[in-house]
Amino acid sequence: MSYQSAIVFGFNEYAKQIAMQIAPEYLSFAIFVMTESERLAAKAAGFEVALFDLGEDWKLIEEQFDPSSLIVFCALDKDAENVFLTISLRSIFEELPIIALAGDHESAAKMKSAGANKVMATQQITANIITEMLEKPTVTEVLHDILYEESFLKIAQITVPENSFLVGKHLHEIDWGEEFDVLVLAIVDHQLSATFSFTSKGHHHHIDPDDILVVVGYEDSISALSEAMGVVKWAK
Amino acid sequence: MISRWIVGIAFFLHASPTYRHLKKFAFNLLENPNYPYKKFFDYTMMLLIAISVYILIRHVKHEVNQDWLFFNNYVISFIFLIEYLLRFWVYSDNSKVIIEQYEHDLFLQRPFKLWNVLHNIFMTKMSFVFSLPAIIDLLAIMPFFHEMRLLRVFILFRVFKLFRYAKSLQQFVSILSSKKFEILTLGVFASVIIIVSSVLIYVMEANNPDSPINTLFEAVYWSVVTIFTVGYGDFVPVTTEGRTVGMAIIVAGIAVISFATSIVVSAFTEKLDEIKEDKMIDDVSKFNQFYLICGYGPLSSQVAHRFLKDGKQVVILENDHKKVAEAQKDGLVALTCDPASLHSYHALRIDFNTQVIAAILLEESDVLNVYTALTIRELSKKVQMLSILLHQENRRKLSLAGINEIVYTQELIGLMSKEVSGRPVAFEVIHALRSENSGVFIKEIVLDSIMAEQFFETSKLSMFHKRLIMLGIYKQSSQSFFFNPSNTLIIEAGDVAIVVGTRSLIDEFKALVRRKKRL
Repeated sequence: MSYQSAIVFGFNEYAKQIAMQIAPEYLSFAIFVMTESERLAAKAAGFEVALFDLGEDWKLIEEQFDPSSLIVFCALDKDAENVFLTISLRSIFEELPIIALAGDHESAAKMKSAGANKVMATQQITANIITEMLEKPTVTEVLHDILYEESFLKIAQITVPENSFLVGKHLHEIDWGEEFDVLVLAIVDHQLSATFSFTSKGHHHHIDPDDILVVVGYEDSISALSEAMGVVKWAK
Repeated sequence: MISRWIVGIAFFLHASPTYRHLKKFAFNLLENPNYPYKKFFDYTMMLLIAISVYILIRHVKHEVNQDWLFFNNYVISFIFLIEYLLRFWVYSDNSKVIIEQYEHDLFLQRPFKLWNVLHNIFMTKMSFVFSLPAIIDLLAIMPFFHEMRLLRVFILFRVFKLFRYAKSLQQFVSILSSKKFEILTLGVFASVIIIVSSVLIYVMEANNPDSPINTLFEAVYWSVVTIFTVGYGDFVPVTTEGRTVGMAIIVAGIAVISFATSIVVSAFTEKLDEIKEDKMIDDVSKFNQFYLICGYGPLSSQVAHRFLKDGKQVVILENDHKKVAEAQKDGLVALTCDPASLHSYHALRIDFNTQVIAAILLEESDVLNVYTALTIRELSKKVQMLSILLHQENRRKLSLAGINEIVYTQELIGLMSKEVSGRPVAFEVIHALRSENSGVFIKEIVLDSIMAEQFFETSKLSMFHKRLIMLGIYKQSSQSFFFNPSNTLIIEAGDVAIVVGTRSLIDEFKALVRRKKRL
């Protein structure tokens, strides 16, 4: 699912960085803030900005955006406010993808319960990165390049089309590295569950239409594989 | 003439590396608790003391082998004598005193005053000779003159020497010495009661023919036994007046005991934290390698627990007592001290070059992290430092302070948000690999020459080929990453393989790639 519009709630350091990264990716993008000072700061940074309060009935969103192709990021200062915002949005928009920031595990669990699709626990992420940088510096560097840098090596998720040559085959039947110069890290088995399974844990997956393969490889190799699979566009 | 001669010797000794080395060695062995070999010396001395006391006890009712007696009277005493002389030697630096006085007089253009120097040296050495530990040391050597039977009991002074070698005994003395005033007050109080009660009971009882208390010594003995609530019952007052005095003394005795107990208990309570901290510092100084985390908060707690999960040691330095208590409650090794102070590291005896894997600065302020970084850099130029960055505009300042790795969480979250919205599944996969909670891990394996040689052969084995994802090889020589390497790639020692798989599979691969060649 690709989204046309995005909203970031809040304008602290986190929200600012999120806005800077994602704004160019969407046709329409706005920041919603609660205070006048935040509004001025966001405006000064060059973003379209609107004021809101937590008691909002969200007509504002419906007027400006198409909720079916909208994604929101809740990045208010306080976890409690983020939880309230999440639950408030979910009560109106059942299908809206909500990505929320949480300080710790406890708040992350609450945000999940409030209806967030994805919660990014900032402390946990930072702790993981710190330990990884010191214990596995090469892994950190390689993953950083794959994920965030403009390197030729990419990670991509490719949805298996209905008429693909892969349908009906088992994952292990194909030597991905040898044949396509890509490595399949995980698969989302559409028929079994919406969550992924690592190929290292069980490679006896039967590939069905609409399964999603998470692959790592050079851009050209991924394109070649996508083409062979009959995919028009894959998510870079 | 003599002055010149003495100054010459002083300069010679001061400049002699052998002399300085010897003296430093002796000092470390006798006085430096951080010297790794001191404990062996201490244990040896404790053993000699134990042998001495055993022979003394055995000799009371049994014959002791002449060799053992010789060993006890001469060998052990001689060792103690040598130790005493060494302590006397290292107590002060005479050559330094002479040179300082000589240079001082030279600077002021006046004749060198040898008498003043000798007087200073004499006074310094006398302060050693008359110190309590030195007196005990000297008395412990006395049994050397074993022909004087009375002096045999001086062997017991050897037991007191244990205070020199056992740290816990030293702590006990230092705890009690912190209550000097209270102990003195108690002593005065107890003495007054003993004197008064002894005189009273002597006056009341001594003239009574039925009373066992006939002398002043017996009166004092009775008073002491009663006040300290022992009451052997060998001496008892028989007169009504004497018994009245006895009742009053029993009550006073309870007061003395309570007072004494409360002093000891309060001294230990007050010093308990200090004792625990000392113990922890000792433990930390014995750690081989650890991560040093400066500043404690929720993030530090998560980082520390992740390292502990990986089997790494972690030491936390934090200035705030409450946070330290929190960390300790959380099962972490945390010490109360300012991570930005040089004094803290000297007191903790941390060796950055050999003990610290990396210093992680997690204070909630860029200012504090920069300050701490500069302190650590002063102690070690090469220790790796990682810090969190709270405000983007301070990034350069952190780099200038010598921090090798900077983590700016906000930027990271921004990048991740892009991933989450664009490739949510891919993001989840990478996040799951990183958090190591899914049972599948991404690991790096540093290859030695044997592993490098066997790498492709092992990775093509059927058990690994399909289940262990060989993401790539990071080549140290070219500092570049080779994704999905083919067996045409030349792998060298020092290259790093990045693999994805379950822990058991990765461990099996590591074991096999090492073992295969050796078979």
